[in-house]
Order: sequence, then structure tokens, then C-alpha cells
Amino acid sequence: MNIEFNEDQIDALKEFMNVSIGAATANLAELLDAFATMHIPEIDICNSHELMSRVKSTIDSDSMYYVTKQLFTGKFGGECMFIMSHNSAENLGKHLYNIRTPSEDDISDAVIELTNILSSTIISKLTQELDAQVQFFAPSSQFVDADSIINSDDLNHYSKIIIISTILEFEDQKINGSVYILTKDEAIESLKMLINKKIEEIYG
Amino acid sequence: MKILIVDDSKLARTVVINSLREIEPGAELFQASNGAEAVDIFKSERPRVVFLDLTMPVMDGYEALKQIMALDKNAQVIVISADIQSEAKLRVLQAGARNMYPKPISKEKMLQIFQQDLLI
Repeated sequence: MNIEFNEDQIDALKEFMNVSIGAATANLAELLDAFATMHIPEIDICNSHELMSRVKSTIDSDSMYYVTKQLFTGKFGGECMFIMSHNSAENLGKHLYNIRTPSEDDISDAVIELTNILSSTIISKLTQELDAQVQFFAPSSQFVDADSIINSDDLNHYSKIIIISTILEFEDQKINGSVYILTKDEAIESLKMLINKKIEEIYG
Repeated sequence: MKILIVDDSKLARTVVINSLREIEPGAELFQASNGAEAVDIFKSERPRVVFLDLTMPVMDGYEALKQIMALDKNAQVIVISADIQSEAKLRVLQAGARNMYPKPISKEKMLQIFQQDLLI
């Protein structure tokens, strides 16, 4: 199984992700009535056991985090994971419910709702760009310390993963989080085939 | 007519170029992969039209737009971006862009840009 991506395939995937994240950001900006700064998505193919170190390199190891995951299946299947620090999540709760001290339930609900909009818009738009279909499962959320963000048991069945990551940033509201789209093994090959088809259409 | 296409993605530039080759077959096309390159090409070539992305490395589209408008207040800049927030559109229009459209741009939309937004 050849899961390496060449320069044109990476460029195309980045561009499709950019369009998908743009649509998701606009939906969230409307929900929060705020302006978000968009960041260029990063794409990495790595061994599954490297995921934890990659995630940890972008977060503060002393904070607690809301980690919300949503699975999707289909021709292009995988998992969308959104990581938000407790501080950001609290600011999200305050902003969304317009209250000074949101309860932990309010905060958790707000994070799940945000992740649901974020991941379903990103994945729907991405699969639309790639002419594919996916089904979504309900998102689930955990409140964990930095060391527990990735459960190693979840990754045991897989060898390689593709990580597509970006930052969601509402600067004025001090709300930000990291989005990871994890796709594994056979799904990477499917993704590559879908990308190749689009590249042929555009480059001729 | 000189036209500058600015996007960090080769694929995104190709989508724009494919439309332009049908709508303006005689146009001389220039490409830049970030805002800083775009400003340099704008200085040397003075293109009649600039198609500009916003989210780019080195220099983003907002800064490039600001610098291009400072070089020529009549520059015709069309922003084509994945950022479809209404606030983003407001910001680029205030900075002097002729209009802003979401990616990906279709041939029909490109025709509309030439008919409605640009003084050619």
C-alpha cells in the first residue's frame, strides 16, 4: 500500500482543507457573532504512535483540555478531533450564553456544539470537494489532562495516520482550539485516489 | 492585459488560470505564491487586475492588499478566498478590493467578475 503523497497531492489536499475550514469558520463566526483568524492547514503523514508527541508539542502540558471526537465513515473515513483548553472553553461558554460564570455542563455543551458544527462542516465540505459521501456519528467529549488527550488503545489497530491540523482562533474573545482530522490505513489510499481524480480534472 | 494571480496553492492558481484562459485568452498571466511576491510583481509589472488569496505564508492577503493599494489607489484587486466570513469581506472592501468571492471560483463567476467588477 503506497500512502506517500507527492507535492501536488499535498497542495491539493491543503487547498481542499482550506476551503472546508473556511466554510466551518464562517458558520462558527455566525454562531459566535465574532471574527476568526484563519490559519493555513498543516498535513503530516506519520506513524500512529507519533500522534501524542505531535499533539503535545502544540499545547500547554499543565492545562486541562476538552477533547471532543466525532467519527465519520464512508469512502473517506476517520475521526475529527477538537482540542480546547479549559480557559478557552470557559470563554466560549461565557460568550455563547452571555453569562459571567458558566457551569461545567454549560461549557461542555458549548464545546460539543461547536465541535459538531466544526467537524460536520469541515468533513462535509471536504467530501463535497472530493465528490464522496460520509456518515457521521454523534460527537463525544472528555475533560482530561494533557497526558490523556490521546488514548493509545485507540491507535493500536493502525500503522500510519494522516494528520490534517489547523488552529481555530477568535482572538477578541480569547477562544481558540486545535482541529485534527485523523485518517488511517485504507482510508488514506481512498483519499489519495479521490485527490488524484480532482487533480486530473483541474490540471487536465 | 496583464493579470496577476496570487495564491499559495498551485491548484487554486490553476483553477483561476483555467477560467482566465477561456475568458481573456490574450491576457499575460503572472503568478505569486505569497503576498510579498505579489507586491514585488505588482511593482515591476503593474498588472491591470490582481486575483488575491487571503490566507498565505510570508505575507497574507490583507497586508498585500494594503501595500498594493498604497502603490496604486486605482489597482483592481479581486479577493478569492476560503474565508467567507462577512467581516473578512467588509475588511477587504474597506481596504480597497473591488469585490471578494468564495473559493473555488467557477468560469461563470469569473465572467461575472469581468462584466460587473472590473473596468477593462
